[in-house]
Amino acid sequence: MRVLERRGGPRWIPAVAALGVACAAQANPGSDPLAWLKRASEAARVATYAGTFVHTNGDRTSTFRVTHVNSGGDELERLEPMDGPANEIVRRNDEMFCYFPDAKTVRLDRRITARFFPSILRSAPEAIAASYEVKLGKSERILGHECRWIRLDPKDRLRFAQRLCSEEATGLVLRAKTFNDQRQVIEQYTFTELRLGPQVAKAADVRSSFEARVKQWRTDKQPREEARSVDTGWTIANPPSGFQKVTEIKRTMPGRSEPVSQIVLSDGLASVSVFVEPNAPQGRTAEASTEDGTTTFFVRPMGEHVVTVLGEVPLATAQQVGRSVARRP
Amino acid sequence: MKQDISSLMDGELGGDEAARAIQACCSSEKHKDTWNVYHAIGEAIRGQAPHTLARRESILAALDKEPTVLSPRTRMLETTFGRIALAAAASVATVGVVSWIGTQGGAPGVASPTVVKATPAGMAQPVSVTTAVPVAPVVPVADTHVQDYLNAHRQMPGPDAYRPVANRGAATAR
Repeated sequence: MRVLERRGGPRWIPAVAALGVACAAQANPGSDPLAWLKRASEAARVATYAGTFVHTNGDRTSTFRVTHVNSGGDELERLEPMDGPANEIVRRNDEMFCYFPDAKTVRLDRRITARFFPSILRSAPEAIAASYEVKLGKSERILGHECRWIRLDPKDRLRFAQRLCSEEATGLVLRAKTFNDQRQVIEQYTFTELRLGPQVAKAADVRSSFEARVKQWRTDKQPREEARSVDTGWTIANPPSGFQKVTEIKRTMPGRSEPVSQIVLSDGLASVSVFVEPNAPQGRTAEASTEDGTTTFFVRPMGEHVVTVLGEVPLATAQQVGRSVARRP
Repeated sequence: MKQDISSLMDGELGGDEAARAIQACCSSEKHKDTWNVYHAIGEAIRGQAPHTLARRESILAALDKEPTVLSPRTRMLETTFGRIALAAAASVATVGVVSWIGTQGGAPGVASPTVVKATPAGMAQPVSVTTAVPVAPVVPVADTHVQDYLNAHRQMPGPDAYRPVANRGAATAR
């Protein structure tokens, strides 16, 4: 306390600086947009919160219940989709446990492209700032919390603009919007109910609520094994600027006799999956695409193979990725 | 009627109901206003300026200033609205059939690239609706293919993936 009483005194600067580092996750980053971005990213990892959020992408809307704590440096989260057949995802850092009570199966996987709100940023702010102009917007009150908008405007037309509303005290993102190039909102995540602070949940609360309901769970470990990087033999010769390869894996998919090669690219905010597989004898003969919200799908026959691109990017980006698939030399 | 217009915008009406709602919507000034107001509300909720109302009022203001061309302009307004409604109906129908639209794979002779925009029913702005709703040239096919890739990308397979094979057909046919 004496440190605070004598603040400004040159002798205490190192002590104040040390205090600043210790409270980095909470400290208000002032007017530095990248510091806001960094704190938002950190808050999604360390904050304790429980609530409900709504995700709207194109014409699809889904509601999720979420509980998130950080225990001894490990991120623990339970995510329960409120729509459709019962299922639940428990996440420990990048490990995913998906519970399907009706099938008595728990599916293990490792997070690569899976999306969790408000954990949106997958790269260091500096890497994101290479592709997006990061600025601070206005303040707004959301769910009783003062928030500050962080504006991410793409430096080219290869990605979508984003707006993140970061809670003033903790940095947690309470609302995220994605816009197309006509300034229309095409995707939105927003909390509709939120309890925030260390008292709202404990590590013991973050476990599957279905776990006790089923006596004998079947465990499907295959997805987790498949999430390990392998050499698929394919490469993206000319990736769109800012997009870098995250990993390449082989995934088992329904109705295929062989696993499908999947290469994942990301610009730190948006991710793209490229799937390469043998084309069926009566398979695709022409390029095709669909867009819904931020999700773009582009398929292209390539000799005896077919390339499918799916990601949260504009069609031009998906096309550039899809058309630059090549055999690794 | 208000409920019908709201349901139309949300894509909740079936073919006949949608046609009835559009009919009613286009035939009455009051219902047209409801349509506009609902769009403005939708836009406001999505954080956009309510273009629809602003544009309509500015058109009306312009009409007042130019009485000599009132008649043709009015017709143009109706025509534009008709096209919006028609396009909305088309997108209702399209979205109603499948939320993800694939193109017919494997059909020989289908050589030109096809682009489909899955437009949320009634959510489209008049500008984009009147200029580009490419619904006609594509035969919508429920493409479970797309869903497979989406599940792989999201790392979130539907519970169907773990249903016994015998039950899967029933589940996917919903």
